[in-house]
Amino acid sequence: GDSWGILTFLCAALCNLPALPALNCTEEPGAGQNIQKTYDLTRYLEHQLRTLAGTYLNYLGPPFNEPDFNPPRLAHAERVPSATVDLDLWRGLTDNARLAANYRAYSRLLCYLRALDGQTGTAELRHRLGHFCSSLQGLVLSIAGVMSSLGYPLPVGPSAPPGAPGAPNDFLKKMDDFWLLKELQTWLWRSAKDFNRLKKKVPPAVVTLRLETRGF
Amino acid sequence: LPFVSLAADPAVISPQDPTLLIGSSLVATCTVSPDFHLKAEDLYWTLNGRRLPAASYAALGPTTLSVALARLNGSKQQSGDNLVCHSRDGGILAGSCLYVGLPPEKPVNITCWSKNMKDLTCKWAPGTEGETFLHTNYTLKYKLRWYGRDNTCQEYHTAGPYSCHIPKDLALFTPYEIWVEASNRLGVAVSDVVMLDILDVVTTDPPSDVHVSRVGDLEDQLSVRWSSPPALKDFLFQAKYQIQYRVEDSSEWKVVDDVGNQTSCRLAGLRPGTVYFVQVRCNPFGIYGSKKGGIWSDWSNPTAASTPRSERAAGGCDPKGGEQNTTLRRELKQFFGWVKKHAYGCSNLGIKLYDQWRVWLQKSHKTRNQVGKEP
Repeated sequence: GDSWGILTFLCAALCNLPALPALNCTEEPGAGQNIQKTYDLTRYLEHQLRTLAGTYLNYLGPPFNEPDFNPPRLAHAERVPSATVDLDLWRGLTDNARLAANYRAYSRLLCYLRALDGQTGTAELRHRLGHFCSSLQGLVLSIAGVMSSLGYPLPVGPSAPPGAPGAPNDFLKKMDDFWLLKELQTWLWRSAKDFNRLKKKVPPAVVTLRLETRGF
Repeated sequence: LPFVSLAADPAVISPQDPTLLIGSSLVATCTVSPDFHLKAEDLYWTLNGRRLPAASYAALGPTTLSVALARLNGSKQQSGDNLVCHSRDGGILAGSCLYVGLPPEKPVNITCWSKNMKDLTCKWAPGTEGETFLHTNYTLKYKLRWYGRDNTCQEYHTAGPYSCHIPKDLALFTPYEIWVEASNRLGVAVSDVVMLDILDVVTTDPPSDVHVSRVGDLEDQLSVRWSSPPALKDFLFQAKYQIQYRVEDSSEWKVVDDVGNQTSCRLAGLRPGTVYFVQVRCNPFGIYGSKKGGIWSDWSNPTAASTPRSERAAGGCDPKGGEQNTTLRRELKQFFGWVKKHAYGCSNLGIKLYDQWRVWLQKSHKTRNQVGKEP
């Protein structure tokens, strides 16, 4: 009698069957599914960014929209978080550190992108930027969702220093904008690899069960 | 890709981000920071990615190179032309954005309309025929004629790029003064002030419940009936109506102008056995005794109906031959007649329904074509 109950229960757990009548079974969205969703979101954003960057760089004008353009990064441009990292360092990141780095980077990138919105000239560009920012906000929330489903705390602290000084002249501002888009692109490439790696480590579904005490 | 991260600005350009009138000339200088051990001869200039000729350069000092630009054209992009000072190996040392253009001209042709006296939408045209090459901002302002406060319109681009919408707090019986200010880096231009009374620019929704039906067996007539627009039913006004109609396959509308105040009209002189599309619109003039004409509403959605064709003309000599599927239609009509007699509960089925379907088909065909044209 009781042992059969336990056996069926274990079978159900292994086969991911829906709740058995005698037990309360709650299935969480599953960190694995969240990771897949986040991965898909980074690919979608990467695609969107290609169109947005093309339009924006054309607005900045040549040489910014030339394919081989590679200006120097000046000191104040370093506020934009860099995705570039040593390979061994990247491999050795814990899941928590990996997710936290993504979360921090996109939170700050979102702030800088939003600041772009108010100053650009054409209505079409502002519209595209607005749309992209909404999608990027979705990515930040998705990463937060993964972190909380794995039990990691969200990184604390200001996502970007509120009184961050802007570029001192219009040309330097154009260079900042160029690097912002470049770093966004690099981060999206990197995140796809980050989330691919995480996908392999976390099982597809995490089913939590609450056993009601029936004298087992 | 390795990049050079630099602590101090490598060079300084003067003037930095200037604004210039089209056709003016400019001499710009690039002074390299002493930390960089570069000399004037190691530098060169580009404008929007194109190298400027060395003949226009001059060394003003050991570390300062100037360039002379004459008769500048309007900026290639509204974010400014990119004038860049490079070191010999192509590296960027500094840049300056040149804003070359024209001051704005007075905006013109301000027209406004109020939907059911609840709001006000205005549109205008920029004064310049060509463009100013600079980003130009437009602000619509308004005030009541004998009261001091200027108000600024907030909701732009509601009816095209040069438009603004004032959604509420509009006063009746006192005229408004309305004007548009255009401004860019080179100056400001203010349009002439337009004075209007909200009651003189009222428009409304198209008439509702437009029905088109046959007049007995008369082959060349159709009767059109509609209701006065509901939003203005509590207001004292006179209404003028206009009807336009066309044959199904034609794009040429015939307009009936002298419909006056009634809510019905008979169209005559029509072709027998033809499907017609009919639309009605309304002009709510004379609201609260206003002497001016109002503004015509949009046309109502097209309603279709067909004129009868007497069965005796079954020989079918239609010299125009512009009607498609006449045989099909005749058969369908006979079929529906039979259905009405012999089938119960199919009373809605009839030639009228078929005609409405033809209208819908034409509309959705048009939309499908438009969708196909999108990039």
